[in-house]
Amino acid sequence: MEQVTVALPQSSRERIRRHEWLTDLALLAPGLGYLLIFMVVPLIQVILRGVGLLAIGEPSRLTLDFYRQVVENKILRDSILFSLYFALVTTAVSLVLALIVSALLQIQFPGRSIISVLYKIPLVVPSLVAAFLVLTIIDQGGIIARALSRYGIEWPELVHDRWGLGIIMVLVWHNVPIMIVILSAVMSAIPQDISAAARNLGATPWQVFSNITVPLSLPGISAASLLVFIGVFGAFSIPSLLGAPYPSAISVIMSNEVLERANWAQASALGTIVTAVSAVVLYVYYRLIRRQEAALR
Amino acid sequence: MSTAELPGGMAEAPRRSAGAPRMPMRWLLTLGFFGFATIVLVIPLIVGVLWSFVNPEHGWFPPAIVPPSLSLANWRAMLSVPEIGQAFFMSFLIAPIVTVLCSALALPTGYALGRRRLKARRTIELLILAPIILPGIVLATGLGSMFIRMGLSHTILGVVLVQTVVVLPFMIRIVAATFEGVPQDLIDAARNLGAGPWALTRHVLIPMVKPGLVAGGLFTFIGSLEEFVLTFIVGMPHVQTLPVLLWAYLGGRSSIFTYAAVVTMVLLAPTILLLFIAERALKQEYLAAGFGKV
Repeated sequence: MEQVTVALPQSSRERIRRHEWLTDLALLAPGLGYLLIFMVVPLIQVILRGVGLLAIGEPSRLTLDFYRQVVENKILRDSILFSLYFALVTTAVSLVLALIVSALLQIQFPGRSIISVLYKIPLVVPSLVAAFLVLTIIDQGGIIARALSRYGIEWPELVHDRWGLGIIMVLVWHNVPIMIVILSAVMSAIPQDISAAARNLGATPWQVFSNITVPLSLPGISAASLLVFIGVFGAFSIPSLLGAPYPSAISVIMSNEVLERANWAQASALGTIVTAVSAVVLYVYYRLIRRQEAALR
Repeated sequence: MSTAELPGGMAEAPRRSAGAPRMPMRWLLTLGFFGFATIVLVIPLIVGVLWSFVNPEHGWFPPAIVPPSLSLANWRAMLSVPEIGQAFFMSFLIAPIVTVLCSALALPTGYALGRRRLKARRTIELLILAPIILPGIVLATGLGSMFIRMGLSHTILGVVLVQTVVVLPFMIRIVAATFEGVPQDLIDAARNLGAGPWALTRHVLIPMVKPGLVAGGLFTFIGSLEEFVLTFIVGMPHVQTLPVLLWAYLGGRSSIFTYAAVVTMVLLAPTILLLFIAERALKQEYLAAGFGKV
């Protein structure tokens, strides 16, 4: 008798566990299945095609030629360096701006609610539209150039320039709000008592900012910076519109390889490199998030 | 914060927290913020609007700060130039389909992520984060060749499918975050009152996650309207959405600013309108769930 009563719950527990597992699978299937088919499979194809497999229009063979091209061909090499360059500069400039704005947004001031809606506008502005809006201001025929020409001052060429200043300006305009959203969420979680105590002990607002606000927002700062960096590193539309003929961004080179030369293999090799850079950054991001969660516990 | 209501003369009031600056300082902040917003946001928007109304007969050449004359000619071109009308139709045909498809895919998966104990949760979250992190051009390279083989290139269905890949993660994360916020008591209470899985979903879960679903749907709709890289590589040249057209007008040395401005306004108006309508739905938490924390 006793054996039966023990055995029954056990087997039913097993059944429940299997049932639970099947339910999880059924619930996860639509979203994850979609991503497996339309993201993981193409991604694997890109990686394989980069080493000469799954070739289109020619026999497949395992080769590192396409990676050798990246090392030997100056155009390809420079495109990677150029993308790294504008991604780093954009991230640094955006971070400084976002830190200042988020810190100031923590203070109550008249019209704050309007500003906190206004700053989100670039979030919903498509990057091509952002490019157009900034173009009408900073281009040679833009508003600033027109205003300055009355006083005989010549406005420098900022678009299609060698240093990608136009690209960086538009990317900063577009990415600062994302950073502000993340940073002000982190900053508003900092207990007011801490900064109040520091102020009572005679700290200047700047000291509070640099010794309290910034260190305590460090998890948000790293997360925001990494997200912006990855997004900008692979950005296509803005560099393709505002970039100089040389050097081109890596994404622009990739689209040219695909659309103009149908050289899918070379584009795939470059794509693998971009993915690898993003994956490394993503790994770092995850490590930071984990440490942040561990610290909160 | 109650201190905001205090008049300047009560600066010494004990309720004032030590970090809050005095009233004139706050007005200085207001001035600074609105000045900054004017330069980086309002002026570009005004100039963009002006460009869309430039009279093509007189043009708008430097050094004129304002156009010599305005007209509706460029907007009329919207109807007479077939490509603008077609692109408009295409964009607003694809966006709702993508939104519906995304909601259908994200609801069950978001529920599982938000409410259930999952094995391999980290891996699943990483997989969902990947399309946000992965550069669009890499996905476009992989999907482009795959869709050529499947005969989905240059088709509306193909564009719907690729756009869903990039917006689905936002939807899943936002929906998961909302499901996570539903109090367990409410679900237990409904179960105790005899609600089955279907009734529970219909009367408790769906109403509770509605704000998140609205926010997610909004994100998805705007994301679909804005999406460029994948649409460009997979859809070209047959499926031309508004961003693809804008790229054509802005690209090259002879950019057509006037038409670009019209397309810009058409793209911008619904998104900004939606942003203002949904200010309440687009709470910081949802935005943060979409972008920031995992």
